[in-house]
This record gives sequence, C-alpha cells and structure tokens, in this order.
Amino acid sequence: MRKNPALALILLLMAAIALAQSPGDKVPSVVMAPIGNVQVRAGASATVNLDFRIGSEFHISSHTPKSELLIPTVLKLNAPDQVTVADVKYPAGQDVTFPFSPDEKLSVYSGDFSIDTVLKAPANAAAGTYPVTGTLRFQACDHSACYPPKSIPVQFQVTVVKK
Amino acid sequence: MKRNALVFVALFVAVLAMLASGKYLDRSRKHGPLKLVGNVQGLPAPDFQLSSLDGTRIKLSDYRGKAVLLNFWATWCPPCKVEMPWFADLQKQYAKDGLVVLGVAMDDSEPAKIAQFASEMGVNYPVLLGTDQVSDDYGDVQYLPTTFYIGRDGTIVDKMTGLLDRKEIEEAVRKTLSTTHRPTSSPQQSQAAAEVKSSSKDAAQ
Repeated sequence: MRKNPALALILLLMAAIALAQSPGDKVPSVVMAPIGNVQVRAGASATVNLDFRIGSEFHISSHTPKSELLIPTVLKLNAPDQVTVADVKYPAGQDVTFPFSPDEKLSVYSGDFSIDTVLKAPANAAAGTYPVTGTLRFQACDHSACYPPKSIPVQFQVTVVKK
Repeated sequence: MKRNALVFVALFVAVLAMLASGKYLDRSRKHGPLKLVGNVQGLPAPDFQLSSLDGTRIKLSDYRGKAVLLNFWATWCPPCKVEMPWFADLQKQYAKDGLVVLGVAMDDSEPAKIAQFASEMGVNYPVLLGTDQVSDDYGDVQYLPTTFYIGRDGTIVDKMTGLLDRKEIEEAVRKTLSTTHRPTSSPQQSQAAAEVKSSSKDAAQ
C-alpha cells in the first residue's frame, strides 16, 4: 500500500462514495442467471432451473410469505404452443427476524435462489426452438425500509426434439 | 516529486471532505440502521388533494397554520408498521399544539384492506390513498417509510426515509411544531392596509 498511493486513494474514494450513498439512492436488484438452450423431447418433460441473485443488503418475500398483506415472489411464464409449463417449484423461504420486527419471523429469499420449472412437450409437438418469456414479480426490503413491487423479465429458449 | 506529494495531499483532503459529507448526509448511522437523508428543507411542500379511506377529499393546504407529519407507507412494508403506533401516540400527545398526522398509503390493495390494517395498527389519523402524482410531486417516493415534516407555513422542515427511532421522530415533530405561520395577505388586503396606514398618517398630521 505504501508503494501504491493511487490504490490507497481509490479505496478511500470508494469508501467515501459508499458512505455518502443515502438509502433512497439504492435500488434493489434481482437478476436472472443466463441459461443455455433447454431441450425437451416430444412426449416427455424437462426441468429447468432458473437461478436468481438478489443484490446484497436486500431480501424479498418468499413465494409463501407469512402474511396475506406481504407480496409473494411469483414467476409467470408464457410458454409457446408446443410446450406447456407443467409445474413451478419455489424454494422454501428462510424464516428470518429483522430489527424492525423482532417478534415476527418473515419468510424471505436473500442471496441466490432457484425456481425449478417443469416443461412438457406433447407427443405431437413440432420440433423446433421456441422462446419462453415471462416475469418474476417480487417485493424487496432492506434492513430499514421497503421498495414497491417490481417485475423483471424472464426469457429463455426451449428446443423440442422428436423422440 | 514535490508536485506529486501536493497532488496526493489535495486528493486526500478531497476524500476526507467526501467522507465528511457522507457522514453528514447519513447522520442516522450514529443511531444504528436508521437513516435521515435528502435536503428538501425549506422547500414548499407540494399541495395535493387526496381521498381518505372514508371518501373525504383532503387538501394539504387546508392545514396551513398546523404542523403536518406526512407519512408515506404501505401494507406490504413491515418497517412502516413499527412507526404507525408511534405516529398515533404523537397525534394524541401533540394535537393540542397543532400537530396533524396524515398517512399516505402507497398500496394497490382495496381501501377496505388498508382500513383494516390501519385499524389494527391503532391509527387515529386520516389515511389517504396515494397516487403516482403525489409520489412524483414528493420526489418519486420509492423507499418506504418516507416521512415529510411540514411546518406551519407549508415549507418542509425535514424529510426522513427508512425506519428511525421514536426519539428522532419526536424531535422532528417538536421542531416542526416550533415553526411559525404568518398568514400572507391578499393584494386587496395589502392595499386596504396601506390605505388605512396612509389615512392614519394624514389624521396625525
């Protein structure tokens, strides 16, 4: 560090920026990891793991929050005619107590989580590659405040192959 | 070499200044995870007219002369739940001094659900149904809870975002109550006042 004052300055600058940031400046982020082409055989099914990452400092309500007033994380997929979405399996939430509600446990996702979807292609499905689109709706909070519900796009390709 | 040292010192001072301003902006860090940010102090609070849960239209400017605590919240915001009973207590305690608490629900829920939630929280003050317009007017309120403290003259005394401790909220309420309101006279009133002043002067002569 002594030999590199520029590096020390950059680190100090980053610390200053982090300290100067106010809570309203932060934006909760949930991003989906890219997935390769999914293959499903006509007449069969395939499980697709959709991996998401929540920005550090934030958590989102799980698919089954403990109050009807809380907004659950929901994946909605629009499958092409050749494929159906047979099942969507959400992970269990972590039961966590926060400083703002020490007597109440909330069911949340934080860090990385994965939603497994089961795609099915009927036996008569035409071979080809089709887009699957949809949205992930979530509502994020940090340690002292919450952000309005938000949706992010979900998109991947599915290839139907003949038996 | 000497020049490099000077540049280094200048940059170091700049970084220290940024650190200091960061601490100033984020002064609630001293008290833990609670935040007080933004610098809207002294700006006029945008006027609005919103429906309350019972259907009454409420206009902010009707409260000129009162100290207004304007709290944006939502039923899906657990930290907001913590503050609401405090606001109800403060409303009880300081109503006689001129405090008016107004809650703005930034929810898509049915008003009946919001009303039930507010009742469970012991809310004793009007709850208004928020709109995108009022959110935009107040600087795109995205981070809940967000509370504006509006002085008796209609200017913003403070803005607090995120859950704070009750002591800090009460301090802001007291500061807001200490503001004064001098009713501004209409041009006709000013003219009439000037005429009265002028005729008194003539009479004295």
